[in-house]
Amino acid sequence: MRPQFSIIFFTTLAGMAQGLLFFIALSNLYSQATPSAFLTNLALPVAFVLLALGLVASFFHLGHPERAWRAAMMWRTSWLSREVIALPALMVVTIAIYMYALTDQVPQWLWLALLFTTVALWICTAKIYQCIRFIQEWSHPSTLTNFMLLGLTSGLILLELLVALRGNSAAQIIDAPLSLVAFLLLFLSFNLKLWIWRRNRSLKPKSNLATATGIKGNNIRQTSMGLMGGSFNTREFFHHQTDRMIANLRKIILLCAYVIPMILMAYAISTPNIPMITLALLINYLGLLAERWMFFAEANHPQNLYYQRVS
Amino acid sequence: MSKNKQLALVIDLNVCVGCHACVTSCKEWNTSGSAGPLTDLNAYGANPSGTFFNRVQTFEAGTFPNTQTVHFPKSCLHCEEPPCVPVCPTGASYKRKEDGIVLVDYDKCIGCSYCSWACPYGARELDQERQVMTKCTLCVDRIYSETLPESEKKPACVLACPTSARIFGDVHDPESAASKAIEERGGYALMPEWETQPANHYLPRSIMETIDAARNDK
Repeated sequence: MRPQFSIIFFTTLAGMAQGLLFFIALSNLYSQATPSAFLTNLALPVAFVLLALGLVASFFHLGHPERAWRAAMMWRTSWLSREVIALPALMVVTIAIYMYALTDQVPQWLWLALLFTTVALWICTAKIYQCIRFIQEWSHPSTLTNFMLLGLTSGLILLELLVALRGNSAAQIIDAPLSLVAFLLLFLSFNLKLWIWRRNRSLKPKSNLATATGIKGNNIRQTSMGLMGGSFNTREFFHHQTDRMIANLRKIILLCAYVIPMILMAYAISTPNIPMITLALLINYLGLLAERWMFFAEANHPQNLYYQRVS
Repeated sequence: MSKNKQLALVIDLNVCVGCHACVTSCKEWNTSGSAGPLTDLNAYGANPSGTFFNRVQTFEAGTFPNTQTVHFPKSCLHCEEPPCVPVCPTGASYKRKEDGIVLVDYDKCIGCSYCSWACPYGARELDQERQVMTKCTLCVDRIYSETLPESEKKPACVLACPTSARIFGDVHDPESAASKAIEERGGYALMPEWETQPANHYLPRSIMETIDAARNDK
């Protein structure tokens, strides 16, 4: 598939915001672990801005953004439609918590609602891809797990940075344990990514030219796709990059999204400091952009069987 | 199978000669009809790119000297279980209950392309200029036309085909020419592994059996 930058930015920005909100909700569920000032002055506005940026990015995906409101109509059948509802819902809950935090009293049910909506948005986003049964790279529960783990990781590193920026005022949350959890999440998601890449390599395509054309005979090959100048089909479903570029990008993903942040986090466990956490967050985010690019690029669409030869 | 009507095309691979008459007549009718315009970009340049509902592709099979060349018309198959329809977030993509045609409402389409991802056949094309998803309509504006003579109330591709390789009809009606062709000549569906139940069928090249028999006689 052709990587779509609108979706790459949406899923990574919203994912980071969801991770941040998830951990804030989790830590405040039973007792107030973060001071209200930390929430209203820093954490919630940052999360909201990230979600809003993601929302703006997603509009660039549409041919007719002015009709975007229509996308909420088919929530009974379409995961995309459900996502279009889940994102504003998460933003509304975030605003509600902000309002309550101003009065210093956030009720427990609202924290639960925040947990629920962050997870709901992850499910909707991942299911958009996972539910396409004939894109075998996507049609697996690891799609959801990967989106969630990476969102949680980047969100946690962001939370750690925000806590560090606030100095000692962030009450019970301190940086060293956050670094440890971030390290563990990075390690988990790193292994999941390696496993997903192994799975993708060993996938046997269910469709081939024999099933796609029904032609009886061996050694079926295309001699003409019926057009010469390219079409939607040749643009939308191929990544148009060389094997070498893909191989190099895989190395960059492993280094930036996982290995370098892991080293920085391991160091931050003993000596937390703001520049190091900032660096970890930035490198991790660049890695996530590349990871999401690859998520599209490595998906093989069966329609490509019909578009192999130009002449 | 439901009792409702399911209009479809049955394509005879024995006689398609790959002349692209169906491609051009489809474009001609639909770019000026209710589904159009099907815009072309850079039409006279080095890399023209346009929207088409129908393409004719060519495949080869076998090893020399026992080879065959197969011309393969390809358009929306109007699946009975269309995977492109439930994923549409706006309801712009829909399957008509009365005749099974899968259509796009261009006034509702937001151009997100998600339906094209959900079609394993690559039957949908996003119009670059209009930024809405387009696809074969089975010439819905011809077959129900109130002005065309009865003999022309068929898809433009069917009328254009010089070898009658395209049979149009209701595949739920066992008496239709389309159903009979599928029944008697082993009509098959594309990519049955995804259980989309395409309404369009293809007739296998029985001519190969004749050729093989002749070769064996020698």
